[in-house]
Amino acid sequence: MSQQSLDDWTADRNGGQPDRCLSFTVRGPWGHFRRIEGNIVKQTYRIIPRTTVAGLLAAVLGIERDGYYDLFAPDSSAVAIEPVREIRTVNMPMNTLSTAAGDLQSLNGRGKISVKLPDPTTLRQQHNYEVLVDPAYRIDVALANEQWYTGLRETLAAGESHYVPSLGLSEHLADIEYHGEFDVGDGPQTDTVEIDSAVPNAVDNIVLDSGTRCQIEESPAFMDSDAGGRTTTGFTNYAYNPDADSLEVRDTTAVSVDGRTVVFV
Amino acid sequence: MLSPDTFREKYPPDELEAELPESPIGSLRDLQYLYGKLYTLATTGGGEYAPYLTPDAAGDLVDTDSSLIVVRVDVSGDDPRLADDKLGSVQVTRYTGDLIQQVGHCKYPAARGIDHSVTHQAGRNSDPEKLARYAKERLTKWATDDVVTEAAGEHPEGWIIERLAELSENEAALDTIADTLARKLGGESTTALLTVQVKTEPDGEYQWPGDIDVFREAMRQRKLSKLVTKNKADDSSGDATDLVTGSPARTVGTSEDPQNYFLGKQLEKFPGLNIEEAWRSHPISEDAAITVMNADTFVEACTYRTFGAKVYYLPYVFGRLAPEKVYRLYELLYRTVEDEETTPIEDAYREERRKTLQEQDFRFYVSAVMPHQMSRYDVFGETLNGRLHYPKQLAITHNEFVQTVSAFNRDHYTDWTAPLPTNQNWGLLETNDGQLHTVSTGWYFRQTFAERDDDDADADDPRIEALISVLSGEAVAVDVLLEEYVNRIIDEQTDDSEHEGFPSFLVASQFAQLCVLADDDLKLLQTTDPSKNQITQQPEYDRDTMPSLDEITIADGGHPAAPKLESFISETPALSPANDDDPDSVTSQRRGAFLLGALVGDIGSYQEYSEDRSTTLVDQYPVKSITRSRIKKVTQETVAKTLTYTRQEKKQQGNYPGTKADHIVDRLRDTILNPEPEEWEIETDDLRFYYALGVTYGMNDHPWNRDETDANDSISEEEH
Repeated sequence: MSQQSLDDWTADRNGGQPDRCLSFTVRGPWGHFRRIEGNIVKQTYRIIPRTTVAGLLAAVLGIERDGYYDLFAPDSSAVAIEPVREIRTVNMPMNTLSTAAGDLQSLNGRGKISVKLPDPTTLRQQHNYEVLVDPAYRIDVALANEQWYTGLRETLAAGESHYVPSLGLSEHLADIEYHGEFDVGDGPQTDTVEIDSAVPNAVDNIVLDSGTRCQIEESPAFMDSDAGGRTTTGFTNYAYNPDADSLEVRDTTAVSVDGRTVVFV
Repeated sequence: MLSPDTFREKYPPDELEAELPESPIGSLRDLQYLYGKLYTLATTGGGEYAPYLTPDAAGDLVDTDSSLIVVRVDVSGDDPRLADDKLGSVQVTRYTGDLIQQVGHCKYPAARGIDHSVTHQAGRNSDPEKLARYAKERLTKWATDDVVTEAAGEHPEGWIIERLAELSENEAALDTIADTLARKLGGESTTALLTVQVKTEPDGEYQWPGDIDVFREAMRQRKLSKLVTKNKADDSSGDATDLVTGSPARTVGTSEDPQNYFLGKQLEKFPGLNIEEAWRSHPISEDAAITVMNADTFVEACTYRTFGAKVYYLPYVFGRLAPEKVYRLYELLYRTVEDEETTPIEDAYREERRKTLQEQDFRFYVSAVMPHQMSRYDVFGETLNGRLHYPKQLAITHNEFVQTVSAFNRDHYTDWTAPLPTNQNWGLLETNDGQLHTVSTGWYFRQTFAERDDDDADADDPRIEALISVLSGEAVAVDVLLEEYVNRIIDEQTDDSEHEGFPSFLVASQFAQLCVLADDDLKLLQTTDPSKNQITQQPEYDRDTMPSLDEITIADGGHPAAPKLESFISETPALSPANDDDPDSVTSQRRGAFLLGALVGDIGSYQEYSEDRSTTLVDQYPVKSITRSRIKKVTQETVAKTLTYTRQEKKQQGNYPGTKADHIVDRLRDTILNPEPEEWEIETDDLRFYYALGVTYGMNDHPWNRDETDANDSISEEEH
């Protein structure tokens, strides 16, 4: 596959932004984006992490695990995420199998490839998962790789997907509504800008007024693969309005997509 | 720990800024890192080894008798040997404040095994045999530990540790340690730290481990080793991006987390269920991991227990970590550690109340956790977005509400009671200085919600959910409140052992809470059910102490109960006819239930006071018995009873004008029959709660000085 050089892509861009993007809404009855601070407690991010968006689109395109991190690297992709429904969570108890060493069974223990699995015949433990209720995000995405970008546009436009899209866990099935391809235009040139999307890395520039709720969370944004698997290479600190309204931000560069004001990362 | 003033002096703004990460707090780890950093600066200070020490672990032992046991070794000669000066081979002394740095204790928080440092903390009141074993282990176990010997091998002063290990093979020396210690302790048990002192130069002094670099380095290596080897992981480390600083680093996979949200044990989320890969899913650098572990003291100080769960209420600075804000945060944490009586919320309020809303830029990480076992935590509610403003404002609004509004305040009525009863012994019915404490500890909801077994918190305990919602400014669901309220009322009404009549004060408390949560500024009440919309609207009761014009002009010629009922209903959005036109509204049905309750309460209290009956209508139609299908029958029977008493009174007194309680009966007739109760849509809890509110209203609806006129019932009841 031909990969456009990064210089070409950024040179085309207007102030470091892509000039066009694909826009779609992903929603589902439930979602769970496990926070990395816990493996005992199953808390969720409120804003779908950028790495999850990348995984979701890789699933749409049919790219294998650990095969898409370059495609969504910082200098060859841009993603804006806007929560479009009020963010709500509930605790949902789920039955899980123990992964304690004693409860794991080896499959094909003597062969070259050995896998350890929880014993499916044992009793389940109940854990609380914090799940998002009716999550919905409008996502704008641009890719430097022309071929994958075109492929993504066609797949989304056809309403197709290679793997079944989900919101975090595979049991939380997702529905994708494609809105089309849009030009990325200049955002408002005022001191304070009303931004519709979650605002990355700008906590100190948010205008806090008593009527608007503003929350913060930091989630993985970029990944890289190595011989042993994958690692996170960058995190993003998002400020967002849990009521799915806009936030006022000072001194920031935002762009306009389909009449909305968003910030890419 | 440094006092806030000393902290400020020791770390001027530019120096403090250099110690802090540049990115704002965006995750629990960021916050723990900040706490750990402040703790280290305030205790062991700066420096390479400072973050590794645990000066608080043995804090209880400072300045107590026999709290430090020192094995003294002379390694200056050809062969290592025990000291033979006047202090002897083993010294039993006091662990004093100035020795904290010198013994350089680094605790390993595990039930088995030795501490990271050569200095080891024995269990509480250990017997002499055990202490002798620990004393010997300074040589036999610590000095020969794999990580320690490896560190020694790479250090120029490593020979000191090698000499200790050498001495550990000398059985006679070990016996001497045990015998000497036993003799000096005189058979007494004690709680102590055990350490060594070493003489390295023939004419030198015996030095403490904190003064010898190799001891500190070995301690550090040992502590670091636990970050990558735990639970059968050999080396869970790799190069990735540190989740705290965002910079590339050697990250480790089995570090500890003061809140135990992350344990190496739980393999589920590790790639290939392999603990060696833990660093991939939780990439934290060595430095950050150590610093996060040091957050423990502050984290623990900012917790309290309620409803069988542990509530974390951790203040942090919103936005960039400007030094001025960090000083204030340190001050707050310091005070919280010092003061164990109050919740961190109250401490924060005390510190912050002089500031304006804009200046109160602290946010709070809030969570309620149920630690089932070491490995199984349930988090019931969690947010990084708690604000002091929410609990504080709720407390203030509640106090103002019960003090000023006409529904709870008799000042608005010259000769008649306020709509709802008040009682100084009920915290939610009176202005209460401890209201913030009430809110922050969850007592606010414990008073009104159904009672549960507090020993075993439940993941879906609505009281915990409500508490966390309030602390984080999230709305509570009306449906949950009504269900809890009604269950509590039913429990109280059916509990024979404590039965003291209808729980009026409880219902009034619940109603006050409901009104306050609905406050327009707080917005702590929500529903997805359109029929309950009106409950989430704030009632606009008169706050003026002067009677309004409406109250003065009385339509039917003078019965004070009628305009009071009229205004209470019209000012309560959930009951008001003004909302009847809303197509989803069930206000007319709710009003019917309320009016029926009011009539039952009114007649019930007449029965009790005038007829001296022990079982009244209130007992006859308990809240539990009220359903949509029964409400018509109860209405008929109650109205029939009303007519009976009217007739009876007329017979006795001759000239009773109209029906008894006709101000209620007339309205009830309008609402209860249209639509027919069979067609009502109101939900049972909704119906029952407003019925209970009505009963409370009715029982309390009488001349306000009834207490004084009780002796002469006929006079007071004439007014009915």
